[in-house]
Amino acid sequence: MNVPLVETRNLKKYFKTPKGNLHALDGVNLRIEKGQTLGVVGESGCGKSTLGRVILRLLEPTGGEVLYEGKDILKYSSRQMEEMRKKMQIVFQDPYASLNPRMTVSEIIAEPIKVCKTITQKKEMEEKVYELMKTVGLTEKYINTYPHELDGGRRQRIGIARALALDPQFIVCDEPVSALDVSIQAQILNLMMDLQEERGLTYMFITHNLSVVKHISDEIAVMYLGQCVERTDNEELFRNPMHPYTQALLDAIPVPSLNGNKKMKEIIKGEVTSPVNPKPGCRFAARCPKVQSICTENNIELREVKSGHFVACTQY
Amino acid sequence: MTDILLEISGLNVMYETDDAKVYAVNGLDLKLNKGETLGLVGETGAGKTTTALSIMRLLPEKIGLIKSGTIKLEDIDITKATEADMRLIRGESISMIFQDPMTSLNPTLTVGDQISEVLELHKKGMSKEDMSRRVDEILRLVGISPERKNDYPHQFSGGMKQRVVIAIALACEPKLLLADEPTTALDVTIQAQVLDMMKDLKEKLNTAMILITHDLGVVAQTCDRVAVMYAGEIIEIGTREDIFGGKDHHPYTDGLFGSIPDLTRTTRRLNPIEGLMPDPTDLPAGCKFHTRCPKCMEICKTVKPENHVSHTHNIKCHLFLNNIESTA
Repeated sequence: MNVPLVETRNLKKYFKTPKGNLHALDGVNLRIEKGQTLGVVGESGCGKSTLGRVILRLLEPTGGEVLYEGKDILKYSSRQMEEMRKKMQIVFQDPYASLNPRMTVSEIIAEPIKVCKTITQKKEMEEKVYELMKTVGLTEKYINTYPHELDGGRRQRIGIARALALDPQFIVCDEPVSALDVSIQAQILNLMMDLQEERGLTYMFITHNLSVVKHISDEIAVMYLGQCVERTDNEELFRNPMHPYTQALLDAIPVPSLNGNKKMKEIIKGEVTSPVNPKPGCRFAARCPKVQSICTENNIELREVKSGHFVACTQY
Repeated sequence: MTDILLEISGLNVMYETDDAKVYAVNGLDLKLNKGETLGLVGETGAGKTTTALSIMRLLPEKIGLIKSGTIKLEDIDITKATEADMRLIRGESISMIFQDPMTSLNPTLTVGDQISEVLELHKKGMSKEDMSRRVDEILRLVGISPERKNDYPHQFSGGMKQRVVIAIALACEPKLLLADEPTTALDVTIQAQVLDMMKDLKEKLNTAMILITHDLGVVAQTCDRVAVMYAGEIIEIGTREDIFGGKDHHPYTDGLFGSIPDLTRTTRRLNPIEGLMPDPTDLPAGCKFHTRCPKCMEICKTVKPENHVSHTHNIKCHLFLNNIESTA
């Protein structure tokens, strides 16, 4: 069995607040195979962005392991992490906030190269920047423009070019298309999928949009309040969602068709409970239409209930 | 006795700055019936928000101008109303809710006070007790416990804040509600709750609504009619059945549908529309979509297309030279 490119074991991230520990991530176990895309879905506060950042050590975890090609990178020194950064990159959600407004397009794309000194010759650097711009579909004329002069779609292309500058293997994509119009979203998604095919990239694609995640992912993990409640391959998740939260999530999506009216299906009630000092047991229990007393007694494991299909639910 | 609540004819709205003239709305025609929900769909820069702000007469002073056209709310011509008239209309006859609930609420006033504010302005005869009762009633209507009326906005989640915004908008039972991307900032399960609630309220209060959104799923679920906007014009309008079930569409509408990843099918590549929305300071001649249209003909480059009508379905496109078949 192949060693996955990225793996997390019992990954935890707690934030201290005046009211107690906020459990942003609680015992997350994931694996991403080389060349594949893991879609991570969930709603506000489920921990998906925190997961992306902790895996890259942009935030330090509270516990657990992050393995890259089988080695625990949490134990790496800062020198070793500098090397790792060339392999692991990130594309951020907000194409307005993630680009330095005082730097031109070429300066932004060249920045990682300058920091890591992968290229030092000016001419070579320029060529690399042009090449990257071409790869992401940005015409040469934008070389000296500033981010504010460009629309969201083009800015996001800059973000992607920047992420590719060091020829990484693994890219965390944190809601990269959420801020974009539908037709620009489609262009960017196509671009990302083409790049994956051409370069054998591995993606962790974080989003709350299930239609997007279905389009781009090989495997999907559903997060709720810091825990992974279901994980399986793309087709299986949509064909056979097992966790009540996943079912509710799929039911809630408004479908752009005449027959999409889900008036008959139960609309999930209530709001997400607090992630501060969570009680033992299932965190979805308060809203679950199938809750039983056993659900709030002990913590529930994510178990392989069917081949390749993992669920954390007492029903199975 | 007509059923028409709102009638917009030949609306032209411009933003004029020292640097440029932005043609945001170009020859918009629209009719809305009482109690009807119209979805106004289009991408960034299409002119949807400008249209809504024009109806509310909330365009930025000096820069935003209604160059020509009329907006009639029953008998009142909004374009000719004074600011004093508009202050009475806003909140009472027409209400608007905006995209981001985080910034729509006053952080220094309690939720109850913000709802009372609307009542104080428009229902001058109301006693304090009646107002308090009405606030409780409205909160219950949007699914918030009246016990929370002395809480501040920061004590509520995003979905709850949006319910408060809706409560404020509906407090005086307006005839028309303009909702500008009301659920875009909300999680999908909360969106489902809020949309469900809005549907209920509309039925109870018989409020007409213009729902601005880019989400075709939301449109399919909540709207009676749908208007597609592009570069300041409505290029297609029809009933829900026309738009989602009909076979004839404006190429731009087809493009929008083609851009959405479909939950029911697996496709390798999406079919986005090439290029970007045209620069509103420099719009193309003829049909404004022609530069991006996969079906562009010679005539499209120079001649503006007329409306091609079939019962309820209008499409502004040269492809449909004869009247289009109705969806039977």
